[in-house]
Amino acid sequence: MVLVQFVPFASIVQPAFWHRLSELKIDTLQLSDHAVDISASYSVGRSVTDRESGREIDLGCTIAVGAESFDPDSKPHATSIVTKGSLKNFNTVEDFKSADKPALFNAHAQKIWDHILTTKDSSLLTSFFLISFADLKKYKYYYWFAFPAFTAKPAWEIANGWSLASNHFSPDTLAAIHTSLRSRSPILPFFLVHNSQIAPVEDYQSFFAQVPPEHQIIAFIDPSADPANPGWPLRNLLAYLRALYPPSTSTLRVLCWRDLELPPNANWKSRYGILTLPPSDADPTIRPSAVGWEKNSQGKLGPRLADLAPMMDPTRLANQAV
Amino acid sequence: MQAIQSHLFAVREILAPVLKESKFKEHGRITPEEFVLAGDFLVYKFPVWTWEAGDKSKTRDFLPADKQYLVTRGVPCLRRATSLAYTDADEDAERLLSFADTSGGADDEWVETHAGRKSTLHSLQNPGEIADIPDGDLDVVNGIAGMSLGEGASGGAGGKEREVSEIPDLDDIPDMEEDLEDEDEATAAPKPKPIPAPAATIAETQGGVIDARYASQIEPAKGNLLQVRTYDVMISYDKYYQTPRVWLIGYDEDRNPLAPQHIFQDISADHAHKTVTIEPFIHSTSLQAASVHPCKHASVMKKVIERMNSSVVAEQLAAQQAAGGAKAASGSGKEGKKKWFGGGSKSSSVPKKDKSSAAGTAGAEGEDQIEGMRVDFYLVVFLKFIASIVPTIEVDSTTSF
Repeated sequence: MVLVQFVPFASIVQPAFWHRLSELKIDTLQLSDHAVDISASYSVGRSVTDRESGREIDLGCTIAVGAESFDPDSKPHATSIVTKGSLKNFNTVEDFKSADKPALFNAHAQKIWDHILTTKDSSLLTSFFLISFADLKKYKYYYWFAFPAFTAKPAWEIANGWSLASNHFSPDTLAAIHTSLRSRSPILPFFLVHNSQIAPVEDYQSFFAQVPPEHQIIAFIDPSADPANPGWPLRNLLAYLRALYPPSTSTLRVLCWRDLELPPNANWKSRYGILTLPPSDADPTIRPSAVGWEKNSQGKLGPRLADLAPMMDPTRLANQAV
Repeated sequence: MQAIQSHLFAVREILAPVLKESKFKEHGRITPEEFVLAGDFLVYKFPVWTWEAGDKSKTRDFLPADKQYLVTRGVPCLRRATSLAYTDADEDAERLLSFADTSGGADDEWVETHAGRKSTLHSLQNPGEIADIPDGDLDVVNGIAGMSLGEGASGGAGGKEREVSEIPDLDDIPDMEEDLEDEDEATAAPKPKPIPAPAATIAETQGGVIDARYASQIEPAKGNLLQVRTYDVMISYDKYYQTPRVWLIGYDEDRNPLAPQHIFQDISADHAHKTVTIEPFIHSTSLQAASVHPCKHASVMKKVIERMNSSVVAEQLAAQQAAGGAKAASGSGKEGKKKWFGGGSKSSSVPKKDKSSAAGTAGAEGEDQIEGMRVDFYLVVFLKFIASIVPTIEVDSTTSF
């Protein structure tokens, strides 16, 4: 048995996001440091074949924010999942430094947990938050993402490792899942699979009512392209299922869906594994501890810095600020 | 100087009339309608591309409000173009792409790219290709950097010599590393960067012609090291040149935005600072992006289209003459398509299903009348041409993924 490890989300902030934040700060927020609703998007994990070595290079488990993140009506790209979050922009770097980060994090994790228990709705499972300080004069943006994920104690284990989904499902089944997945807009981030049928994860009880456990498959859009590790969203999906349906979820068949485009030559990239949880007597409705602060480029828990001074033309920005 | 020039170009573009009549086969130029048509086709066939509306104040009224420009995000770039080696044979191919002799006879290698080339350390030991970056451009950027940093206590004095795009370090807020959470056993550790590089010592890199200012930037690009950058690639319509125009915004392997100067490492040396420059992105009020200047796009596209068109017409004629009817037509269309792209695509060994089905459609429709290459393909072809300018950025989505 091997512990299941999850690839954490890695944030990509498009420069346009900071541009829009600057506008918002100057025109609307001004001195307010209330949290603002934003959204981020992720899609299936991508990899690219290195033409020189022929190796498959994994492009990471990324989640992106851009200018559209501030627009509540923005239409998601056909193959991305939009997830909600909040942005708290501090007025001074001192406030940013001294902010009570554990409290902010716990509050957000609690919000996700309460939402699971009270509504059985999965839409907040990938909810995130972002704290920032925008040094508008120098075009420097300090920021720190958190993607809260509930830890399982004891941790999930996997018996035979992750293997290609095509070893377990026929090409026709995979194609049928692909078709039904793409026929819904927006795409379901978490779903259930039985034969070639899919259903939202909220339908767990009704959809699996007549299905023997060995045919119950839970699936999610996997932003990781790592063959050995699924992406971050699976963590909260597992926590969600444990919290709501403790009797039937100590063994789960998980499909990490990585094919939003039909793969050429039927090389499906999706992966499959059977996860088990060692028995424990913990009360499943008590909120587990959560982790998920993003590490910076030094691999430490710390804020990141986007320096846009070379990219933003000062004179033009000055004109806008008038 | 460049700033004045780009303002001048911007004004000239505003004043230019909108092209009304289709000229794409005669001149390689397209109308805004054709741009939208070709863009729709690109988005349909290769969904990594999407239309964007851009900044409201920058909307151009000759294009639909929600189809102002095309964008694809997170395009991988595994290596620096500056680490690609050049051989004499490659230089011949490059000259064709340098536009200087587009009137010349040898059309056949129009889309020869650097990408298939073995990258070696050769270019590092002989770094002439990157040494000729004009100082003028740097001064401008340094000036900007100095300006924006001037108010800081430490920034101003060294403004000019200051490394333009220092790696952001967080010394400003040293106490921010916090013990917020325990080591989590279920979090996958970041994978070590793939380093299959033949060992090149830093001394080698720093010596020679490379400016000390660049040492820290070139160093990561040395040898065969994989430094996976990603790019957001935008295609806008340039009204003055009546062609599409490509813009690039880059991110380093830690997903920090790349300073414009670093972007030049991913542009073939023939084009960096010449046809590729840093300009304000026309659909944003503040962003600067690297852009391939479109002044020669039309003539290159014209040549490419001419060649492709003649082979398409031949295919379509053959298809029409074939007695087999629709089935045969689509079949031969498929083959024909492979042929059009065969010479051009970077890694044509993997013909895509998409492409052949597109060709099937074209073949079937071309049955009734000989229309040659349709304008829908314009952007697909255009991307293959752009791929030769940015050899390591996988902009040509028709062959990657």
